Amino acid sequence: MSGETSPIAGGATQNWITLAAMIIVGALALVSLYMGFQAYGNEDIEIAFMYMIIGTSGFIAIGYAFFRPKPTSMDPLKTKKFDVITTLECPQCNLKRVRAFQRGDYIYKNDEPCTRCEGKMIITSIHTRKEEKK
Amino acid sequence: MSLLQPDNEIGMILQTLFSFAFIVYLFYAQRIQAMTMLRQIEMTLRKIKGLRDEGKTTAIETINEIGKPERDPTPMVERFMEHFMLEPVSMDPAGVVGKLGSILNVREFTFEKEVEVMAPNAEPSERNNIENLLEASLALNIFYKVIRHYYLLGKKTMNIYIIMQIHMILPLILQQIEAYSSALTAFREGMPIGDSVGPIVAAKLLNGAETREVAKEMVAGEIEYEGRRVIIAKAKGPGGSVGKPGDAVTNLLNENKGKVSMLITVDAAGKLEGEQVGDIAEGVGAAIGGPGVEKYKIEQAAMEHEIPMYAVAIKQGMEHVVAPLVEPLFEATDKAVSSVKGLILDYSKEGDTILVAGIGNTVGVAQ
Repeated sequence: MSGETSPIAGGATQNWITLAAMIIVGALALVSLYMGFQAYGNEDIEIAFMYMIIGTSGFIAIGYAFFRPKPTSMDPLKTKKFDVITTLECPQCNLKRVRAFQRGDYIYKNDEPCTRCEGKMIITSIHTRKEEKK
Repeated sequence: MSLLQPDNEIGMILQTLFSFAFIVYLFYAQRIQAMTMLRQIEMTLRKIKGLRDEGKTTAIETINEIGKPERDPTPMVERFMEHFMLEPVSMDPAGVVGKLGSILNVREFTFEKEVEVMAPNAEPSERNNIENLLEASLALNIFYKVIRHYYLLGKKTMNIYIIMQIHMILPLILQQIEAYSSALTAFREGMPIGDSVGPIVAAKLLNGAETREVAKEMVAGEIEYEGRRVIIAKAKGPGGSVGKPGDAVTNLLNENKGKVSMLITVDAAGKLEGEQVGDIAEGVGAAIGGPGVEKYKIEQAAMEHEIPMYAVAIKQGMEHVVAPLVEPLFEATDKAVSSVKGLILDYSKEGDTILVAGIGNTVGVAQ
């Protein structure tokens, strides 16, 4: 933002910090769960319950950090590239030709000579190419 | 194993950490949320700035390429991108449409003059396309500045309600911004756009019939269909223009002394989620968008001459309106032509005169 605004945190650096924090929380949560099971084995139910809650919360926090809804993707917004085609038809011999759009094309333009007869071809349609279903 | 017993040091540390986290979250949850949202807004803002800059660059490149100006158009483009329009006061609403119409006319005149100076060697249709391209760049600039305003205001005040306002509508705004960025390609090259479906339907109905100018940047021609006289009006192409359909309809109705049995408007209409692109819907009223001035004129003229108004809408998403025309929409124009013919047969009789207006931007569509 060219000096108008300063980033709240350092972009990619913050991603590393987040990752490191998530690893630490994950490790602590794992230890906590382990201690919870230990306590459960020793029939110390209250302590076991507390550790399990702590451990589960840690994993929930990591899950949230991974899957939280984001209003925008990380990909930069780019002007879309369009594959636009022009269809030309000859009114005399009905020859139909499809080619890539060129600047200056417009629907009902008739100045391109027909390759089959002496007539002039008319642009009958201009539109983007249909996307093939994957 | 004694390390992992519940009453050891690690257990204490864990408990303290989680208790601390809980207390921090209790007091700073809103601030953390605000900071997260601000960061997301900032990321989006960077992307929008990129698009805004791309819009400016595209406009300058196109002006240099087509208009071949003697001096660098950059300062003029930058000045254009800051242009604004003040709407008339509506405390006393009587006559407000006329006032708005007058302001819009001045705006249009100013834009035409600006483009004429910027691109002196461009053809009139190319000038129209440059004008549309500049308007798309102007819109991207406004989006950028408004989002930046809320971002900086939110950052300054750390008020979650200010931040939330912009954060919540960000996905919708992004849709519009992406649509405007697609418009850059369409207007630079002079390709038909989603909004061109109305003029395409009119051109298909005209089928090469002779046309004449009936209002500013509006043409009309006549055909005969099943014993009826059909007058068809559209914006004058192939340059990007919406013309003045309100004036065209008024003039044509006055010319025919109101002896018109029906008025049909064909226009692109926003589709609801779940509806298909290119769906056709028939209805009543004047199918025309924009600030409302032209719609008002059409309604006024139809009311004066007591002419029933029918409408044909071609459904499309926000992302299609100013983007290069997609194939389903082009195919839909044939269905819309059939729909118009069906309405004529259903609601008029032989010998009647019918007025059909293809509403929308006629970029890349002749007549």
